Parts: sequence; C-alpha cells; structure tokens
Amino acid sequence: MRHFFSYLIPFSILFWTVALASDYYEQLILKPLPQSTVLASFNFRSNTTLSQFEARNFQYFPRSLGQILQHVGTRELHLRFSLGRWDAESWGARPWDGTKEGGTGVELWAWLEADSDEEASRKWLSLTNALSGLFCASLNFIDETRTTRPVMSFQPEGDHSNTTLANMQLLHGVLPREVVCTENLTPFLKLLPCKGKAGISTLLDGHKLFDASWQSMAIDIRPLCPEGQECVLQIEQTIDMVLDIERSKRPRDNPIPRPLPGHELKCNTSKPYHSSDTCFPTDYAEGQEWALDQVFGKTIKGACPLTDPEVPPVCIQVPHTRDIYITAGASEIKDANKPSRCYQVPLESDFSMILPHMSREGEHPKTDADEIVKPETPLLYAERSFTGHGYERGGVRTILTNPSPDTEVEFFYMESLPWFMKIYLHTLTAHVNGVAGSKNDIIEEIYYRPALDRVRGTQLELRMRIPPASTVFLTYDFEKSILRYTEYPPDANRGFDVAAAIITILPSTSPDAPLARQKTSNLRTTSLLLSLPTPDFSMPYNVIIFTSTVIALAFGGLYNILIRRFVGANEVVDSGVGGLKNKIIEAVAKLIGNSKGAKGKVD
Amino acid sequence: MKLSNVLNLPALLAASIFAPSIVSAEHTSNWAVLVGTSRFWFNYRHLANVLSMYRTVKRLGIPDSQIILMLPDDMACNPRNAFPGTVYSNADRAVDLYGDNIEVDYRGYEVTVENFIRLLTDRVGDEMPRSKRLLTDDRSNIFVYMTGHGGNEFLKFQDAEEIGAFDLADAFEQMWEKRRYHEILFMIDTCQANTMYSKLYSPNIIATGSSELDQSSYSHHADNDVGVAVIDRYTYYNLEFLESEVKDLSSKKTIGDLFDSYNYEKIHSNAGVRYDLFQGGAEAARSRLLTDFFGNIQNVEVDGARNNTVDEEMLALSKTIAKLRVLADEEEAEAKKASQNNTTAPNKSKSQTQKRVPTAKPLTDDNWYGKKLVGATALASCAALWALGSYLETPKN
Repeated sequence: MRHFFSYLIPFSILFWTVALASDYYEQLILKPLPQSTVLASFNFRSNTTLSQFEARNFQYFPRSLGQILQHVGTRELHLRFSLGRWDAESWGARPWDGTKEGGTGVELWAWLEADSDEEASRKWLSLTNALSGLFCASLNFIDETRTTRPVMSFQPEGDHSNTTLANMQLLHGVLPREVVCTENLTPFLKLLPCKGKAGISTLLDGHKLFDASWQSMAIDIRPLCPEGQECVLQIEQTIDMVLDIERSKRPRDNPIPRPLPGHELKCNTSKPYHSSDTCFPTDYAEGQEWALDQVFGKTIKGACPLTDPEVPPVCIQVPHTRDIYITAGASEIKDANKPSRCYQVPLESDFSMILPHMSREGEHPKTDADEIVKPETPLLYAERSFTGHGYERGGVRTILTNPSPDTEVEFFYMESLPWFMKIYLHTLTAHVNGVAGSKNDIIEEIYYRPALDRVRGTQLELRMRIPPASTVFLTYDFEKSILRYTEYPPDANRGFDVAAAIITILPSTSPDAPLARQKTSNLRTTSLLLSLPTPDFSMPYNVIIFTSTVIALAFGGLYNILIRRFVGANEVVDSGVGGLKNKIIEAVAKLIGNSKGAKGKVD
Repeated sequence: MKLSNVLNLPALLAASIFAPSIVSAEHTSNWAVLVGTSRFWFNYRHLANVLSMYRTVKRLGIPDSQIILMLPDDMACNPRNAFPGTVYSNADRAVDLYGDNIEVDYRGYEVTVENFIRLLTDRVGDEMPRSKRLLTDDRSNIFVYMTGHGGNEFLKFQDAEEIGAFDLADAFEQMWEKRRYHEILFMIDTCQANTMYSKLYSPNIIATGSSELDQSSYSHHADNDVGVAVIDRYTYYNLEFLESEVKDLSSKKTIGDLFDSYNYEKIHSNAGVRYDLFQGGAEAARSRLLTDFFGNIQNVEVDGARNNTVDEEMLALSKTIAKLRVLADEEEAEAKKASQNNTTAPNKSKSQTQKRVPTAKPLTDDNWYGKKLVGATALASCAALWALGSYLETPKN
C-alpha cells in the first residue's frame, strides 16, 4: 500500500492544478447532549470543476449520480432521508441550523433546467425514477399530486448566473410514509470516494444508524463559483444522528434490556426510605463512560487517504475539563477559543476514544457543566397537531414559540397537504399568546394554491413574524374526503401520513445580530397521521354473498310456486317405480282411462 | 424514410442465417426474482424466507444488479423489531440477513401484482431505471421465488389483491414468446402452493411448491425475542440443503437431489414438483445442476468455425449497409432542412400555447374596496330591477 502511494505522490504533483480545484474533505463532529445522548454529525464533501464534470471526468464526484444529473439537466439537487424526532426542548438548536435535515421520510427538491413547465415535469419524472433506482426508495411515488413548486420557502444555495436562473424551475416532493433503512444507506456509502472502507465512514453501520433516536441523511449538490477561480460542482453528504448512549452500548445479539439482579442495582441513597431492602434506582445514565467503538460498534479504520490532510477527521465538542483518552498514534488539537478539540487520525491504524465516567462525588466532584457543552437555545420551537374529532371534519393547530426575550423572528411557513385533506382557508387564524394586541401583523403574506381532486395537493406558504417571548397559535380547519375503493393502500387503517411543515427562518436584517441569526435556518415539524373514513374492505364480498343468498331464496321459492302444480295427498295416483312391467301397466291403465274418459265426455 | 426500411432487411437476413446455429446452447447469465407478498409484522417469516433466498443466491455469486428483490414491508427498521436493521431467519441468530449491503428494488406499496407482471414481461415506461428491470434474454436462467399467503390457484399480495395461477402462466408464456428466458426454476412457498404452478404451459420451466391442494404450509419455529415465527418449513429445509450441499459453485448437486430431500416428516405437507414442461422431461430436469439456477455461471459464447462464404457475404452486406446509411443520412438531413424552413413559423405559435402549471398565488387585500364596491353595485342593481319590475306590474287603477 505504502509503496503504491510513493508512486502516487510525484504523479499528483504533476496534476497539482487539477487537485486544487477538485478535492475531498470529511469530518465527524461529536457532541454529547443532555440525557446521556450524543450527536454525531458526519460531513463528506467533494468538489469537481464544472469543465471536468461536463467532460464526464469524474474523480471524487460519484459517477452514478453525475450521469443522472447530466441526463435531466439538474442545476441543484437536495435529497433527505430522515427518521425520528429532534427533541428541541432538551437538545437545543439543530445541527447545521436545520439546513441539512428533512421531514420524516424522504424529501427531494431540485432546480431543473427547463424552458417550459411541461419540460420541467417530464425531467422531474425521470429524475425521481432514476433516483428511486439508485437509492432503493420509492421516490417514483412523487407524482404530480405530491409535487409542489414553492414560491418563497426555498432559495438556491449555489452560485448561478442570471441567465441560468431565468430558466431554472424548482420542484419539491415529499414522501412522509417512506421508511428509511439499510438499503438506503448502502447506496449512500457507495457514493463516497472511500466507500465506507476507510476514514470516518467506516463507523456508519445500519444497525446503529437506524437505532438512533433521530437521524437524517442528506445529499446536496450545488455549483459554487469562488471569486477568481473556476466554478466547481460540490456534492455534500451529511449524516446526523442522535444516539442514546445506554441503548447503543447494549450488545447486538442481546439488545433487549433485562432487569438487573438485586445486588447490581445502584440505589439512590438520598431517598428517606432507602434501606438494605428498599432501593430507588439512580438515574443510571448520568455521567456514563462511553467509547467510540462501544457506541458505534466499530473503530475508525484509519483515515481516508483521499481526504485533505490538513483537516482533522474527528472533532468533539466538550468542555476542556473533560478527560478523553485516545488510541496511540493519534494527535489532539485543542481549540482555545471554544470548547472543541479535534484529532488527527493515522492513515493505517484503527482509532477510537474513551470518555471516562465523571464522578459526581469524592474529592473533586464534577457537574454537568464539566461534562457537556450547554446546548444553544433554538430560534423557534414548532409543534403541530390535529384537533377536532370524527371522520368528517378536522383541524390543524401549530404552536410556534419564539423563546428570545428581545428579538422577533421572521420566517416562512410552508405546508404541502394531500388532496384528500381539503382545507378551509377562511378558517386560517393566528393569535398571539403572551403579548396583547398586534393580532393582524403576524401573518404578513399568504401564497396559496388550492387542491384539485386526484390532480394536485394544497400548497400553502405564509410569511409570519413573531414578537419576542410569545407564542403563536396557527389554526385552520379541513374536511376529509372519501377515497375510491381502489385508492386505499393495503394498510389503510393505519392512516395517511401528512408531510411535515417546513419553516424557513429568515436571516436577521440588523447588522449586530448574533451569528446564528445572520444565516437562513430551517425547522420542520413532525409529520401527522390522518385517519380517513375507511370502508370495511371485506364488505363487498359480504354484500355479494348476502344478496346472492337472498336472491337464491326469493327466486327459488317463487319459481317453485309458479312452476309446481299442487295436488292433494289423496289425489296422488299410487304408481310403482321403474321397471318395464310398471311401464306396461301404466300404458294399459292410460289406454283404459282414455276410453273411459271418452265415454265420460259423452255422458 | 423508405431507405430505413430497406436497412432492416439485411439485419433480418443475418438473423435468419444465424438463428439455427444457436439452438441447444447453455445459458450465459443468471437472474433471480425474489418476491415476498405479505405486509405486516406478523408475516415476518415471509420476508425472512425471501431474504434468506437472497443471501443464498448472492453467496453463490449472482450480483445485486441481477437480483430483483421485492419486499412489501419494512421488517428490519420496524419499530417492533428489537434488533434494528436486522432480520433473522433462525432463532440462533447466527446470520443477519439484512447485513450491511442490501439493495431492495421494489419495496412497500410498489409490490403489486401489476408491477410484478410488468417486471416479468418488461412492459415498463421509459423512465423505469435499469435496476428495477428484468433485463434477461433467451440465454438467461431465471430463478423465481415467491412466498406469502395463498390458496387454491391464487397468491395474495399485501392482503389487498391477488395473482391467479392463470395470470402467472400467461406472464411466463409472454416471457417465452419474447425470448426472455432460457430456463426457469419456479419455487413457491405458500398454502396450497402446488396449485399455483398447475396452470403453467410454457416450455423449459421446472416448478416446485410447498404443499398440495387443501394443505397448509407451516412455519418452522419462532424466536421469542423477535416475538414471531421466523421461517417457513419448506424454505427452511431448502436452505438447509443448499447450505450444507451447495457450498460453492463447484458443487455437482442436481435439482433432483434437492427435490428428493423433501419429505412429509420434515415439511409437514406434500411438496410438489413439475417436470413435464421441461425439454427432455423429468430426466433432463432432474440432472440440471443447482448452480445453474442459484449460482452465477458465466458461460461465454465463442463463435465456432464459420463458413468463409457466409463471412464474405456478411462483409459485402455490411458494406452496402454502410453505403445505404450514408445515403439515408443525407436524405434525412435534406428533409430536415426543408422542414425547418417550413416549420419555423408554426413552432413559434406552438410554444406560445404551452400548458402552464398554476403556481401558488398571493392572497392580498389590495382591492378590498374595489371588490366590496362591485358587490354593492351588483346588489343595488338587482334591487333596482326588482323595484322596477314590481312598479311595472302594479295594476294601474
């Protein structure tokens, strides 16, 4: 291996100019959070110059994705796979300001190069289908009814010239029901230059990622034009996950927690009733020891040799007072300005680190402040739920809270609702709790596209402004439609998922605003589960069987009455059964009868 | 335009010359279509059946690009699963079937009868990605495995629809007519499974099922921590044979050996087999190697000693084709020029009438007074009309 690299180095010097423009970078940022959880943010970024890309000369940029992008003329692409819920009350602000996460399920938006709406729709169809094949997700279910064209909520992140901006179309689609599992991670890892074989991506394992309390996989592709340099196309792949330390330390073959034997229980001795036979278990999670390879089930298998050697691959955000042990060969770089330190990982040996137990008792008792960095307060809290009851009408209520005591927050609120959820726009109201008056200026602008049955969904975009330290209740009513028999999915009784509302917080206009407010940040509510009136699917069979029975009975009876001739029992001629002899006797009797009858008539 | 028709002629000619030479050849590619058809957690075992077959064919070398895997529900990442990202088919939990490297081609609501038949017959739209298509030819051996809940001549898909034995037989016939397979091994594990292949009528199919008419197929055992049954008996014993007897591609075990291993004591139902569609009957079918269907054999077709005269004829033909092509191109280019001159004007008018997708519109109160005024005027004029009418109607005394 080393031999090979020694040949490679002079070669790379030859192509130094190329190497500058197209490069690769990866970093893992760990951040212990309260409640004994840890946030792991993986970030992989590779660049390729636009000329190389157009010449189909892919170095770090994944070829499989590059070909799709070229085929459908995609200018910018964003794809998200998310699972779980970010607990903002205890974990604070979201990683990357929420810009690299999606609503539950799969979310896709892209700017396509198209002269007309029809062309954009056609390209969108082929993009969603191609991506569904690549990422093993049902992205082909993003059809016209689930596609929206947002007006305000999304802005291109890359640098586009004015001429390309003119014929770029934004399309957005969400699949809230889509499950995210190992088959989505497999193609994600295959896009990386090191393919999960070296570097921080070796930690990524479906068994841990999909056991996380919250996780989000993101792919962003955008063109960037740094000043005085050639434009590059950047692909950024991000995975964020919140792992419950206690849960992920469980052995893989025995993950079900079983009660501890009595003598292993840790008791809370401060309780008044604590005695030798009464035990109140302590919060076991507090100040736990954990190691990287325990939590992820693996160690980092050396640094990825393609990455920029200047960038340390692993960083952790903990106070400098916290002890951390690392494997030999790695080196620590402490940041003096903020509670963060980074590690350089050797190329060919495994890397792990241990964060030992911090004793809360003894000579130098440690507190939570020594152990974790206090999470930042988010700019906005959002919570959305259904109101009302019954199968005909319903309502949605969103509670938006601005926790800041002195700054107001301005944002776009976007909902894309399925067509079978018909909203009554006149019932849309917003009222403030906390500050009296100022009712009308909460909603500043409304963009609305009503739903058409089976053709398109509702799109609602609001521009809102919330005063400091107040809560806004946004409510509207809707009506549930009844679907056709064949339109119900196989598990209709589970309900129908409604996509998350997307909140885009606008950057503050004042120049002295804190750093977090100077950028656009995002937030998504949880998705909702709408139960529609669902028929009893076996009913048609019951109806068919029941009516058939009724018809058979009625028809049979009637037919019997009409056709049969009723004769009294004494009138029945006692005739023998079968036999040639009987037939002859019958015939003779008939003959005699006839002659008698003829006589009778004469009488 | 007419020239292009002429161009097709030599191709047809060539096909007719070479067609007889490729009659009883071996297959050159292996494909697997693995279909689970049950949704919901309690049908865990059906997905485990499919996934264990997936692992087996993958172990024997069929690449993901040649395996079509249909999973109707998500068991690995199901919230009820105590082992996230994992599916086991045995209570000893030795093998994680989901693993780290899996590609599911059709999942969730995509697993429908329509999609399954479209997949087999390749009647799909242009936008369908290659990974979701069965790109077989007349030299491909296909292993088709299905499992789920079924009955007499039907198999349920997701508890919502069902595929009939006739539908399946017609789909296979269409595949044969389109020269989409060389040989098929059809295996099905469901209740009354043998009825499902009873209607097949296309050649070169070996079929096997888990149980006869009016017989149920049973599950093998349950895992108490998973909480449900993890595998069906028939699939379990198939796997047991494949794991122990077919260790690698060099195995010489035949289809007959596998079918002989079935017995009522193990499977608790009468597994059935059908050879009569196969060329050469039971004997030929039974002597086929298992690796012909479960493994990836890459036989390379080498053109044998060719007749020199044919070669020369072909060369001459290709030369004329090249000449004709140049002519056709020229003609087309001229036609294009002419049409461009003619159609520049209509093109413009066409682009003006393009359909526009309505986007979200701002809701504004700008002309609130205007709207009110229009309403008031309309009301007032109605009232005036009424008044006028009643004035005219009043009898003048």
